[in-house]
Amino acid sequence: MKFRGKNTTEKIEAQMAPMIDVVFQLLIFFMLTLKIVEPEGDFTVNMPIGQSVAETDSPKPPVIKVRMKADPTTGEMYSMTIARKELFATAPGTTQEEKSSAAFQRLNSEILKAIGSPGNPLAEDQEVELDPDYELNSKYLINAIGACRGRLETNPQGRTELVDYIKKIKFAPPREKQPGS
Amino acid sequence: MRFKKTDSSVPDIDMTPMIDIVFQLIAFFMVITNFEQTQADERVILAKDALAMPPEVKREDELTINIGYERDQNGDRIDPDPFIFWPGEPIRLDGLEAKLRLEAQIYKDEGTEISDVTVVIRADAEVPTGLIQGVIKTAQKEGIEFQKFAIKARQSVEQ
Repeated sequence: MKFRGKNTTEKIEAQMAPMIDVVFQLLIFFMLTLKIVEPEGDFTVNMPIGQSVAETDSPKPPVIKVRMKADPTTGEMYSMTIARKELFATAPGTTQEEKSSAAFQRLNSEILKAIGSPGNPLAEDQEVELDPDYELNSKYLINAIGACRGRLETNPQGRTELVDYIKKIKFAPPREKQPGS
Repeated sequence: MRFKKTDSSVPDIDMTPMIDIVFQLIAFFMVITNFEQTQADERVILAKDALAMPPEVKREDELTINIGYERDQNGDRIDPDPFIFWPGEPIRLDGLEAKLRLEAQIYKDEGTEISDVTVVIRADAEVPTGLIQGVIKTAQKEGIEFQKFAIKARQSVEQ
């Protein structure tokens, strides 16, 4: 049998240069393409326009109506009422942001009052109808859905979880555009 | 002068490590690529809300509708009226019905139940609410009849 000479015992050196090239290329690629985005969530609209839950034998609680009025030119909210109780105009704060944040907190507590306690079986069929002006900026609609939907609570384990208030949120038929919009 | 004797034969390139890395990469990309947001439009700046949660069970069939404004580099609106950013061309609300009819027909041809498809609305924070209602109303029209709807928002932690 024939053996090769010294070569068999010689250690083959790994070529690091091309590997480093590739790794650096990658690193740069990821650094350039990395886009930090906040995670997107969504709200399910359970009962879209013109629909209602199937009739059941048990009497349904009356629908809670939330009316939101907006300035026709800017779309900023100037009034929000729940069962004729004004929440926005009387809210504390000076800027639009402060007032609306306070108003949605008040809406949240009004909803809690209406359902009694979270998870109350009697309030399971409770519906909320949102009735916004055509021009209202959609961010207010999102915040209103959020305020009716529930609240976030940190449990003893330090995890944030959703406490459900009302799941059945629907929209009133769309309103006409206001003059001047 | 003395010259080194050069080896004329081409040295063998060891391809193994390179292939290792390339495979690693491919695997990495496959895992990291977020296919869910491929339908998201960058022109749409979503409203923020702490309660907006990603759905617990992934929806099988989704039809995303992006609504927003054409903006310049400063973020000012080029056109005061919002557009629906349909893939390929921005359209207005009056053009949506034909598109949705076509989309509903495609679902029917595929054998997908329309009642299983969720229409996901990604609306800019400044879009008038009436337009979102208009989109939902159009999607509910006879012959289109989408039944499930969801409105997207950015998840934000409230201070």
